[in-house]
Amino acid sequence: MRRLPVYLLLDTSGSMTGEPIEAVKNGVQVMISSLRQNPQAIETAFISIITFDSAAKQVIPLTDLASFQMVDIKAAGTTALGEALKLVATCIDKEVAKTTAEQKGDWKPLVFIMTDGIPTDDWQIGLEEFKKRKTAYTVACAAGSSADANLLKQITDNVVSLDTADSQSIAKFFSWVSASIGVTSTKVEDGGKDVTGLGELPPPPSELNVVV
Amino acid sequence: MSDLRDVVTQLFKSNTINVPANRKELFDRFLQDEVNKATINEIIENQNWLMARWKLEDRIADIIQQPVRMLNGTTGKPYETRFDFENLKWDDITAFQFDGLNEVGLRFDEKTKQITGVPLKSGDIKFSFKFKVKDQPDDAPFNEKLLTLIINPDPKSLWKTIESDKQDPYWKEDNATVFVPLGDRHLLASSKRGRSHANVGSFREDDFAFSELDNGWSIVVVADGAGSAKFSRKGSALACQAVVDYFKSEPSIESMKGFDGLVHDHKTNYNESTQKRVRHFIYNNLGTAAFQAHKQLEEFASQSGMALKDLSSTLIFTLFKKYDIGYALLSFGVGDCPMAVLNKRLSKVILLNWIDVGDFGGGTRFITMPEIFKNEKFASRLGFQLVDDFSYLMLMTDGIYDAKFVVEANLNNVTKWQQFLDDLQGTNDDKIKVVLDPANKDLASQFSKWMDFWSPGNHDDRTLAIVF
Repeated sequence: MRRLPVYLLLDTSGSMTGEPIEAVKNGVQVMISSLRQNPQAIETAFISIITFDSAAKQVIPLTDLASFQMVDIKAAGTTALGEALKLVATCIDKEVAKTTAEQKGDWKPLVFIMTDGIPTDDWQIGLEEFKKRKTAYTVACAAGSSADANLLKQITDNVVSLDTADSQSIAKFFSWVSASIGVTSTKVEDGGKDVTGLGELPPPPSELNVVV
Repeated sequence: MSDLRDVVTQLFKSNTINVPANRKELFDRFLQDEVNKATINEIIENQNWLMARWKLEDRIADIIQQPVRMLNGTTGKPYETRFDFENLKWDDITAFQFDGLNEVGLRFDEKTKQITGVPLKSGDIKFSFKFKVKDQPDDAPFNEKLLTLIINPDPKSLWKTIESDKQDPYWKEDNATVFVPLGDRHLLASSKRGRSHANVGSFREDDFAFSELDNGWSIVVVADGAGSAKFSRKGSALACQAVVDYFKSEPSIESMKGFDGLVHDHKTNYNESTQKRVRHFIYNNLGTAAFQAHKQLEEFASQSGMALKDLSSTLIFTLFKKYDIGYALLSFGVGDCPMAVLNKRLSKVILLNWIDVGDFGGGTRFITMPEIFKNEKFASRLGFQLVDDFSYLMLMTDGIYDAKFVVEANLNNVTKWQQFLDDLQGTNDDKIKVVLDPANKDLASQFSKWMDFWSPGNHDDRTLAIVF
């Protein structure tokens, strides 16, 4: 069974306290519930949550949808995006199975990053590590005006931004992530090959500005 | 006595009443007065009672708020999760009951300390753990701790079956199964629309065709229309038909007769020259058939105003004829659909084609690609085998191969083919037996049922043709 690995990198820095972090937690729950109703996603999609504030932590390893239970996350500290990028690179190495003569490996992973501010660590080193691994596509979301969409553009071409990091916008982001995972699960099962880019995904809702 | 003194001293202090040294005697007498003593003891009792009541409420709140980790379940699948009072440090619970578990098919097993059973429905199941703790009177009402269990729906129930549009000009039946004599053998073939197509009401894109030919040959063709191609349902159908029509045409019937002499020469005088003649023969007959199929698709595309790639499909076919020296098998393949023949004793498998995964792996090639005919590998798509006899000749699309063989390496392994036959003959989850005996009147319906097997991640159209 080829799994579709999905890594969510979530900014849990101090600025996310209050409405934003609650919206993120809620967004993930709603996303999981909705994906559970998708017959292809429930078989193929495996989700991992990596949080980053003063340090990066994989709070939930790659887990199938049926077993997935969201953990409580709190917001405090700075924004170690570089560490998060390095961590997801290591997780990909460890968790994503490669194709061999004896077994078919997993599909290329999807990576979704959400941050509301500027990285406070040496993020370029983390980026170098991250770039050495292959993903099907990576999407970065600049939540609110304190985030730097241009910086995120160096991580991936696929950058979306939210005007404000409020409940509604964050909810919309997660519902688009959910739809994207759903569509990707169907496409890889039907097409037999990896999805390669944003063009294959459902169009983002109006709350998400696509950064060109 | 010192207890009483402490309590009263504390009481007076918190009310800014100070007992000076010169009042010590009076204070002692005050404390010894019977009425006062009784009252002070009452005060102590009340304080203790109040503190105990608080501790109880606090304890109950602790239990109610304590997170309890429970595994998620799935409808219809046996479930168990640990609910161990000791682990939870709930050794002060004196009575309890669970409300809301039975309704979903679950119960608490005190002996094994598990919530167990087979969930009957899915969703966020809310249930309550009602309990009393030590020091609560027996007639106190139960305290209620609300818990939520996540039960996933049965994945099979999430797949819908939506009819395909019969008004579509390129509509074909969602499912087709045949069991017919073919040459001196029999053909059992089935092509089924995949769950992923049924879920959205789209069409079956696989196809197959077969025929006996006047020159003693028989042919079986299988094709897998590309999921990404708009009209691949028509592409696969046309490709199969084009190949059969070609071999049924007079010129081909005549031409194929030429193999009768050639095969005997090849057997008695096996040398470079006969090998070469065989290669040319196959190229001229089968290579041309494949090219014909390509051309017909091209013509159809241009007449219908569509792009050729909208008809993209893989294409594999094998012709077989029985000679006194054995069966001759001639084959052609483009795409990731395997063809194989198994000997009588099931000790050897011969693959008749190579799995075509394109340049980048994970993909496939199609009969609609003109470059395959110019490529130097074209000749390798054509095959010839002369076997004493065979038990099974099989052609399949990746809907079967992915599910039952998974990787290419397994196709070369005869054990995997033996397991595949076991699977067909009953060693499968649904316990469906396909008895591969020409006298079996139920063969077509058994085979059709078997073809509906559930394989996670494999919901593509599936086609399997067995000559036996």
